[in-house]
Amino acid sequence: MLEPHGDCGPHGAWFALMIFYILRRLLFLPLTLFGISLLIFLMIGFLGPYQRLATFINSPERLKGADVDKLVELYGLNDPLIIQYGRWLKNVLRGNLGWSYVGKEPVLSAILKRFPYTLELTLFAAIPIIFLGTSLGVLAALNHNKPLDHGLRIFAVVGWSFPDFVFGLFVLMIFYGTLGWFPPGNLSVWAEEIVKSPHFRNFTGMLTLDALLNGRFDVFLDALRHLAGPVLTLTYVEFAFLLRITRSSMLEVLRKEYVRTARAKGLDERVVIHKHAKRNALIPVATVSGQTVIGLLAGTVIVETIFNRTGLGSFIALASQQLDYASIMGGSLFFGLILVIGNLCVDLSYALIDPRVRLE
Amino acid sequence: MKEPVLLEVRNLKVYFRNDEGLELRAVDGVSFTVPPGKTVALVGESGCGKSVTALAILRLVEANGRIAGGEVLFEGKNLLALSEREMQRVRGKEIAIIFQEPSAALNPVYTVGEQIVEAILLHQSVSREKARALAEEMLHLVGIPEPRKRLNEYPHELSGGMKQRAMIAMALSCRPKLLIADEPTTSLDVTIQAQILELLRELQRQIGMAILLITHDLGIVADMADEVVVMYAGKVVERGTKYDIFKRCRHPYTLGLLRSVPRLDVDENALASIPGFVPDPLHFPEGCRFRGRCFLEDETCATEPPEVALGDGHVVYCHHAALSEVCHGER
Repeated sequence: MLEPHGDCGPHGAWFALMIFYILRRLLFLPLTLFGISLLIFLMIGFLGPYQRLATFINSPERLKGADVDKLVELYGLNDPLIIQYGRWLKNVLRGNLGWSYVGKEPVLSAILKRFPYTLELTLFAAIPIIFLGTSLGVLAALNHNKPLDHGLRIFAVVGWSFPDFVFGLFVLMIFYGTLGWFPPGNLSVWAEEIVKSPHFRNFTGMLTLDALLNGRFDVFLDALRHLAGPVLTLTYVEFAFLLRITRSSMLEVLRKEYVRTARAKGLDERVVIHKHAKRNALIPVATVSGQTVIGLLAGTVIVETIFNRTGLGSFIALASQQLDYASIMGGSLFFGLILVIGNLCVDLSYALIDPRVRLE
Repeated sequence: MKEPVLLEVRNLKVYFRNDEGLELRAVDGVSFTVPPGKTVALVGESGCGKSVTALAILRLVEANGRIAGGEVLFEGKNLLALSEREMQRVRGKEIAIIFQEPSAALNPVYTVGEQIVEAILLHQSVSREKARALAEEMLHLVGIPEPRKRLNEYPHELSGGMKQRAMIAMALSCRPKLLIADEPTTSLDVTIQAQILELLRELQRQIGMAILLITHDLGIVADMADEVVVMYAGKVVERGTKYDIFKRCRHPYTLGLLRSVPRLDVDENALASIPGFVPDPLHFPEGCRFRGRCFLEDETCATEPPEVALGDGHVVYCHHAALSEVCHGER
């Protein structure tokens, strides 16, 4: 549809601007990560050297005959905090995040192995959250102050008010305890054996996707069955916020003059709503959706724990309980990375869907 | 001989319901006609119901309002009796409207071209390419420089005056027979105002549409209108030709309105104003609604004022139409 212009056209320039913006934002990434790591390291610094030594000792047997002070010396736990931080930083810059006692493997590989599970859960939860939140929000706005509107809002507020550990337990009780439909964990034992067998290739680390890529439809269904419970929980607890944002945004847009202009043109009410009103109403919703997804990536701790799922959330929860500070530091850095990149994506999408937003 | 009529509004009533459920009679029995190709100005203070009348003609009154009675005859057919789908074929094609605030009236997320093309595709069976060419032609017609480039621009990239020109281009893209211009220049600065009015006049000459001009600015009325309808508190108080209204108006309200316009040629210390305030639409007085502010008021005004025809379409709704002529000499 674009006809050739005399000049180079606005799109080339716009693209260059976009690249420039992304690069500039990424330049700030190391700075952010540095801040996060310093903060967490300082918090760990509040523990005394002996408390921290305890995290290295997994059985009292190991302390037999050993001089505790010598061990503290050996691990450098008595050095000034800044020196300890520098030592840690040097290792990180070499790509060594340390050894995870909780994962019994290097921190980096422990994180990379578990992250796909969390990502998978997040993506599966994001679909119904965004779909239900926006479509029911629009529906509520179109039925402003009618029974349907009130009903949807009550339904949403109830979900919003439920703590996820309470609703998660309800889901477990009903759908696993009583009905036996959605078991906890990531996979059934038989499916786990297939996944761990040498014939099964891990492409992405996400079970559903890998099962499909391997042509194992039964494993795919089993993975879905295990996802259903946590997805249901996250959806009901999280979609209310999007519904409320969508509803109020839509109500506001429906009062705008350009909606009246669209009607005055002779457009059908459906086109007025779905083309002219919704497109504008969803601009703030897109930002909130993005932040919800980012929040889920870093916030599945409780749901993963309740449903006994392997994932980054449950890994960090366990690491925190056992003061596995290499894992905590590594996990925090990873979450920081997700947050920064996720927010960048949200900002970029904002510029894509709202022509008034200029990247600066 | 009866003159031809494009639009006839007969006894139109639009009532709103406020949050307490009370009924506001915003437009209460308004009648006037618009001849083809002519400009009729609908004049009155803010809140007198002139914009609501305009929206009611297109049946675009907000959800808390309803058209409670009357007829809107466009080329003889009653628009109020049409189905919604039939009404959609009238909107934009036969009757188009432009609004006061062009920045708010254009959709910020679609390009100017897309919004004009959409209107063209809706009412004319042409290809998208042809519609785009037509849109470019319209932008050129309303005096937007570099129309091809502007097609791909978003509303926020245009100035206020350019936005109103784009709105006019969109409204006229299907060559409507009637253009409703609801305070089209109020939000623009004075030099741009003059340009837009000149443009409307020029386009009227080229396209031949009638204009229903809604305004509170008597200067614009004097400039643009052939006929004038004066509204007060939801009712028409007087209508006639521009000459009737400006030179021999008979309603005390019209007189007051004219006298409150600042004039350079008369040395006055203070601007004349109408005493009192516009009544609250919840508590309009019985009978003549101008009661309480009128210098001719007496006990007869408590009853509905009669329609007094003064010939050649000059009509005034006043018990004292005969008397008021005498007072007119004061001006």
